[in-house]
Amino acid sequence: MTTGAMAVGWNARRRRAFLAGLTPALAVMALLTIAPAVYLFATSLTPLNLTMPQTAWDFSEPHYNYLDLWEDPRFSNSVWIQTKLSATTVVLQLALGLAIALLLNVSTRIRRLARSGFLIPMVLPPIVVGILWRVMFTVDVSPFHRAMAFVGLPIGSLITDPSTALWAIVAVETWEWFPFTMLMMLAALQMIPDSPIEAARIDGAGSLQLFRFVIFPYIRHALVVAALFRLIDSVKAFPLIYVLTNGGPGDVTQVTNYYAFIQAFNFSLWGYASAIATLMVAGTFVLSWAIDRLTGAADARDD
Amino acid sequence: MHATTDAPAVAPAADTPSRAGWIARHRRQIGDAVTVAVLILVLFPFLWLVQMSFRPNDDIFGYQLAFSPTFDHYRALWTGIFAQSFTNSVVVSLASTALALALGVPAAYAMARADFKRRRMIALWILATRMAPPIAFTIPFFLAYRWVDLLDTQLGLIIIYLTFNLALVIWMMQTFFEGVPRALEEAAWIDGCGVWETFLRITLPLSAPGLAATAVICFILSWNDFFFALILTRTNASTAPVAIVNFIQYTGWEWGRIAAAGTLVMLPVVVFSMLVRNYLIRGLTAGGVKD
Repeated sequence: MTTGAMAVGWNARRRRAFLAGLTPALAVMALLTIAPAVYLFATSLTPLNLTMPQTAWDFSEPHYNYLDLWEDPRFSNSVWIQTKLSATTVVLQLALGLAIALLLNVSTRIRRLARSGFLIPMVLPPIVVGILWRVMFTVDVSPFHRAMAFVGLPIGSLITDPSTALWAIVAVETWEWFPFTMLMMLAALQMIPDSPIEAARIDGAGSLQLFRFVIFPYIRHALVVAALFRLIDSVKAFPLIYVLTNGGPGDVTQVTNYYAFIQAFNFSLWGYASAIATLMVAGTFVLSWAIDRLTGAADARDD
Repeated sequence: MHATTDAPAVAPAADTPSRAGWIARHRRQIGDAVTVAVLILVLFPFLWLVQMSFRPNDDIFGYQLAFSPTFDHYRALWTGIFAQSFTNSVVVSLASTALALALGVPAAYAMARADFKRRRMIALWILATRMAPPIAFTIPFFLAYRWVDLLDTQLGLIIIYLTFNLALVIWMMQTFFEGVPRALEEAAWIDGCGVWETFLRITLPLSAPGLAATAVICFILSWNDFFFALILTRTNASTAPVAIVNFIQYTGWEWGRIAAAGTLVMLPVVVFSMLVRNYLIRGLTAGGVKD
């Protein structure tokens, strides 16, 4: 009896202690995330323009910004550019990351060392990634452009040509983030037990068959999660665009994030920019929820 | 991996081996050679920037590997405004990391050990915070900072960096704490230790490597930030990445000095990330992948 009463007292004390540990962090998180989200949404319902103070907290036409967005060709164009950028970079990152992960999935001294080397693009400050590719894309400076000129095939600047600028950004974004998919693929590959691979080899499976029917089912889940993560983060490609093309030439590299940035910080259309950002948050939530469902389902399976 | 690839590459047999046989026997070496070639190709832009930062101005675009390196570009940076922004970067990144750890570590422990109903909801909240586009934070923070005078201050940056660092700490440390056997803690409780005393004496020391890795990843994320610092600072509190851009806007593309600044800014993160390589993936996928 007494031990039971003690246990109840102890559990209550434990509960209080945990609550005390959790509360400050959650309070700060709420202040830092929920409050701004509410503020952002409220602002999106007003025509806020900092050069016109009377526009603050003017809720007379709350749906105006969203209606405007619906009819703004520059906004829909930015969404289309974002879609092209996101789709191509995610596919390329998965392909390159998987290829290099397969190459590195053999344990030799050199390849263990190389695993660290391949991480470098991902950890560099994004602004430095922008600068080093600005060097590579500037015709008179770039060793690449000079080598092409030397062999008699000079090419013009890829970042100032409207037909190639977006693909130049795609190439750099792929370069910067393939290490992420590579790491996730490598982790998944190393979880595969040896026996099914051995069995398939004994049955005479070729390399392609081995990949398609034995390895692929094991890494499929990691591929989907990696793709979703990269898809969500591809919306954040700001520093690259800022340094390499500044949204141009024209608006061919003006992704949605960049469009919102310009609306707020160049044109002071804060209400309008907030409406764009609100839509972006909504999109991210849907994708996060998908990740949560996918990993949650995986956990349930593993347990 | 396979018996064939481990065969020593000794003197060839009397009859000339077929080409396919040679490839099969040297699979490992060929793979290593391909790895090195691909690695050099991938890191070429990075290596090019580093070597450029040591070239004298009259040979800045040269490609001969033999050149007498100069530290002029670095020296010029150190006397300019760049030194101040470098200090800002260090202070802001360290302070935000420390604050995130102080708040997040106890919360992570509570998340790992307490059984409460809303756990899954909090986990989803943390994931959403990590995923949210930065523009969604910058707009309200910029507007609010105008009122409370936090624009262009170190404190302002420290606070906004908490938005991602705190979520990261709670997520990562939670997985480390879950790895510590509960039996060890229960022994300490029976000896009369309180919950937090047990945590400080038993659980935290056992999670020290994880704590170090988490701290390093927080530091790297704060250090690498460009977007928040670009919008929320002007001159006083501008961090190194923003200083590079300002510098380009004022003086144009002075390649040597830009290369030196870029090399200085990336040096700490490259070193640190090699130290925490094994934990990187956990940090970067915070909230989405359980291992």
